[in-house]
Amino acid sequence: MSRLDDELRMAFRHEQPSPDFTDRVLEQISRQPAPRIRWWQTLVALFQPPTLKWVAIGATAALLVAIGASQYARLHPGVIDDGDKVEKTADGSSAGASGEVPGASAPDPRRVAQAPPQAPKPRLNSVRHLVATSNTKPRDARPKHRLVNPEAEAARDKVMLALQITSATLNDAQQAIRDDGYKAQP
Amino acid sequence: MVGWEGTIALENQAAVALEDTLERSAQGDQMAFAEIVRQHQGMVFGLACHFLRDRWLAEELSQEVFLNLHQNLRSIKSPAHLTFWLRKVTSHRCIDQARRQKVRPQVSLEDVPEPFTRATENDLLLSELLKRVVDTLPEKARMVVILRYQEDLEPAEIAKVLEMPVNTVKSHLRRSLSILRDKLSRTLGEVTQ
Repeated sequence: MSRLDDELRMAFRHEQPSPDFTDRVLEQISRQPAPRIRWWQTLVALFQPPTLKWVAIGATAALLVAIGASQYARLHPGVIDDGDKVEKTADGSSAGASGEVPGASAPDPRRVAQAPPQAPKPRLNSVRHLVATSNTKPRDARPKHRLVNPEAEAARDKVMLALQITSATLNDAQQAIRDDGYKAQP
Repeated sequence: MVGWEGTIALENQAAVALEDTLERSAQGDQMAFAEIVRQHQGMVFGLACHFLRDRWLAEELSQEVFLNLHQNLRSIKSPAHLTFWLRKVTSHRCIDQARRQKVRPQVSLEDVPEPFTRATENDLLLSELLKRVVDTLPEKARMVVILRYQEDLEPAEIAKVLEMPVNTVKSHLRRSLSILRDKLSRTLGEVTQ
């Protein structure tokens, strides 16, 4: 350490500005307009660590709900189609409100004449009937014809799996939030 | 009497307090920001004042630095990062200012007068002479010398602040000190040897 070093340290000491320097800085800050947050800054902020966790949880949940909804939408028309088939088989040739099924062949008059008189069957309105029966009967007692579509069964399994994953993810998220809360407490 | 353990405890306490102040000011607390300004204005203004040799210009520049800090408070991660950020921004702004407005005094090394008397300890004239000789150095070399002796930084730290290779910083320092020794050899006499 030479004298030159000492002299340089002495010469280049911290200097204090005028006493009202801090006040002037604060005044200038108060005069400045609030910083405009642009859309891309908001977008970038979403990918910063604290927010990223919530974005990931939200995106996963939304994705799972979308998958579930699409699978449900695929399953639902299948049930209605099955109902139409059931209606046809249950009513036979006399099914439908008008007594005719479009595209079905006309009944054989001889067979109609020879056929024993049948007890009047309740008029089946396909979808309403199926909904009513499915709502009143327990799951196992549902008519077998509802479960004949293997594609619908597979879709239902997928929906159930998706809902289970969603539930597990939300549980994990809740646990993480609780852990964070404990850590944040002094 | 406070021993070294007590000193470390006090330093830790101060660091925690500064961290708290930084966090509060990032959340919009103006009083906390004023505290940060008060704590660092000596360093920022000192760098600007020694470099530009103009108090008014140095105050303007220091204000701009603190305004810039206020806009970037969220990106500051710790008190150490804050100090580094302030040094870096002030240094770069000073160099830019000097280049833009040709603030650098138009005095050549030969024009700096030799002192007539031998210097004594804490001689203000000597300090003034040292500053005037440093003023004749190129911008980056000047800032290297100021950071080295005002902030007591090592060459590696100066290199980070000024974003230049460590060896360049070392060579700037060597050359600047050599010039200073040559110029002041008569004043400081055998002490510089």
